[in-house]
Amino acid sequence: MKKIALGLAALATLAITSCSSDDDNNQVFTTNVKAPDTYTFERDGSSTVSFGGQTTRIQMAQEIVSGLKDPSNTEAVLDNMFAHVQGDNDFTDANLNASNKNVRSKIAASTDFYAANTTDANSIKATFDFFIEDQVNTVFPNWLTPASAGVAGQIQQAGGGAIRYVNGKGLEYNQAFAKGVIGALMMDQILNNYLSLSVLDEADNRANNDAGVLDGTNNYTTMEHKWDEAYGYLYGNEVNPAVPVLGADSFLNEYLSRVEEDPDFEGIALDIYNAFKLGRAAIVAKEYGLRDVQAQVIRGKISQIVAVRAIYYLQQGKASLGTDMASAFHALSEAYGFIYSLQFTRKPGTNDPYFTKDEVQQFLDQLMVGNGFWDVSDATLDAISNTIAAEFYFTAAQAGSL
Amino acid sequence: MKKLVYVFAIMLFIVACSKSDDTGGGNTNPDNYNRTAMQTNLADNIIIPRLQNLKFGLETLVDVGNTFTALPNQANLDNLRAIYVSTYKDWQLVEPFNIGQAEVMQYSFKMNVYPTNTADIEANIANGTYDLSAVGNNDAVGFPALDYMLHGVAATDIDILNKYADANYKTYLTDLIAQMNSLTQTVLTDWTTNYRSVFINSTSNTVSSAVNKFINDYIFYFEKALRANKFGIPGGVFSTTPLADKAEAIYNGTISRDLAIIALDNVQNIFNGKATSTSPVGEGFNKYLIELDRQDLATLINNRIDAARQKIQILDADLKTQVETDNTKMTEAYDALQLVVVSFKVDMLQAFNVSVDYVDADGD
Repeated sequence: MKKIALGLAALATLAITSCSSDDDNNQVFTTNVKAPDTYTFERDGSSTVSFGGQTTRIQMAQEIVSGLKDPSNTEAVLDNMFAHVQGDNDFTDANLNASNKNVRSKIAASTDFYAANTTDANSIKATFDFFIEDQVNTVFPNWLTPASAGVAGQIQQAGGGAIRYVNGKGLEYNQAFAKGVIGALMMDQILNNYLSLSVLDEADNRANNDAGVLDGTNNYTTMEHKWDEAYGYLYGNEVNPAVPVLGADSFLNEYLSRVEEDPDFEGIALDIYNAFKLGRAAIVAKEYGLRDVQAQVIRGKISQIVAVRAIYYLQQGKASLGTDMASAFHALSEAYGFIYSLQFTRKPGTNDPYFTKDEVQQFLDQLMVGNGFWDVSDATLDAISNTIAAEFYFTAAQAGSL
Repeated sequence: MKKLVYVFAIMLFIVACSKSDDTGGGNTNPDNYNRTAMQTNLADNIIIPRLQNLKFGLETLVDVGNTFTALPNQANLDNLRAIYVSTYKDWQLVEPFNIGQAEVMQYSFKMNVYPTNTADIEANIANGTYDLSAVGNNDAVGFPALDYMLHGVAATDIDILNKYADANYKTYLTDLIAQMNSLTQTVLTDWTTNYRSVFINSTSNTVSSAVNKFINDYIFYFEKALRANKFGIPGGVFSTTPLADKAEAIYNGTISRDLAIIALDNVQNIFNGKATSTSPVGEGFNKYLIELDRQDLATLINNRIDAARQKIQILDADLKTQVETDNTKMTEAYDALQLVVVSFKVDMLQAFNVSVDYVDADGD
């Protein structure tokens, strides 16, 4: 772990210094802004970085996902974890119970996508509510029943592997929920909320940032804080978030590390980290054009994480169908969640996701038709993989390998 | 996590100097090694003879098992246990070859998944009906299930023998051995009648060639079945606390260290293209590396395997006991094996210019 920590920070510097001539060719702006080695920003000797609310929500989401695998939980218990009210005893962690934050209110809640689209936002929240409801009412009662087509229950992976708990179509709701949260909470908040002009430059943010007017008693300007909150949804559960090692949660942070491990996408982790640092340094330097370029870089790269993993799990599922159904269902359930998350991606330079809510629903309908994963065809899995890949600069084969 | 270290290390070069590095392996010698000779040596002198040996052992196990179920007394139990041990050792020599029919049938999943699930075994016995080839029974069959059936179904030998008054126990024991025997026959027959020619002729450097697949299978076996299953998992490397009960052959309780040494010797013999430890070096990864001017790496790998063996030889005969009494020695053995993984998975694959074709399974 320590080695990796050193790795990201040290390499960030090394890569920039050793190839600075190449990098300069791509600079649109002539600027003297230099990103620090690590995500560390100070004013008068004190840190200006803060994203406690993001860390809290990541940790709440972890407990909810664990709770979905405990059949002694009632629907009310899980619903209360999801829509936590300050002071209620919903979590094992007392700090989470004391928090006034919750996960549900930030599902599909970005300014750019949902401020004027409460209809979709409500429908998306209802989908997560349904994952909880049907897990409790359909899967929990059949916890010890062998699963079969049309019958919820348990099914074991080959090689004495993990036991998976699925609905009648082979879907693990806990996976759909967890991978859906990556899009609906983390990615939507980062790409379509905190990195948006409508948030960064809201009201007098720009004038205040120019004049160094701080946010109340805090040591940061509002604009600085908004950028940090975006950072927090990706790195907020790290032991030392300024020097991320990745794999620090079960959500976006984890899957960035997985995509990084695929040689076809090596470098994506450093690209995202560097863009966050440079964008934040640009805010300090009041170079808003440079800031916005970094936001676009982050939008493209983070969208890519979800697309790569959607295809990867579709292909993993395909490889196990027939021989090891439990492994196939597990992979396809992860794919289901990542596909759901595609509607929260953001095409750089536009106000649009790579796939709309309707397009996402069509993919999911193809997966769930009839008996769902029990009889989905290789052709369907390939077709969806190729359709997703076609919107990005990689092939389904690249995303589906390793 | 460890993987990320490499990834970032490699990334340094790629990010910093991507335009100059497109050879992939970083290996300047052209690859003129005779891969067919290596595959032929593997098939004819190592794989097929070992499968034949295992098959012979399992046939003996069938006979001795029938003697025992016909008359479940102490002498017959002792005899059956002895053949179980010798056959389990024969299996260690076969487990790395998860290719051809073995891969298709998920042979190793039906032969050596541990810890075995004793609740599933007892449920199968009680029900009297079961499909031993079902995926869900992977952890209720094979050598670990046999280990339980011969040593773990009761606390004392007298009580174990009493269990076999029940016809369902007899039948389950017989069925376990029969499945192991027939699976092995299927794999062996496929090698001698079909797969041998595929194996020795599919030698191109592509993802799907038999050579590349075997190289990957060999490294995966070392990393997962040997390093992780025998040492890392019971030693708690992947969990917050050690999990002694996840060691191999825990019901027998005296052979897991020797099984591990046999498995490690086997890895080294395959590397050196040797049928046994006393055979001369034959065509194999060692000679392949030398042909690529990587004598240094070939020597390093043998040295690291030797060092790991020394760490294993000082362990308790029962690795479960070792974990419970002094787990540090267990993790030291694991660490020594991990060094071999690095040599195989990073350095040897780069020298061969072969890509890894597997990923660590999801942690969830």
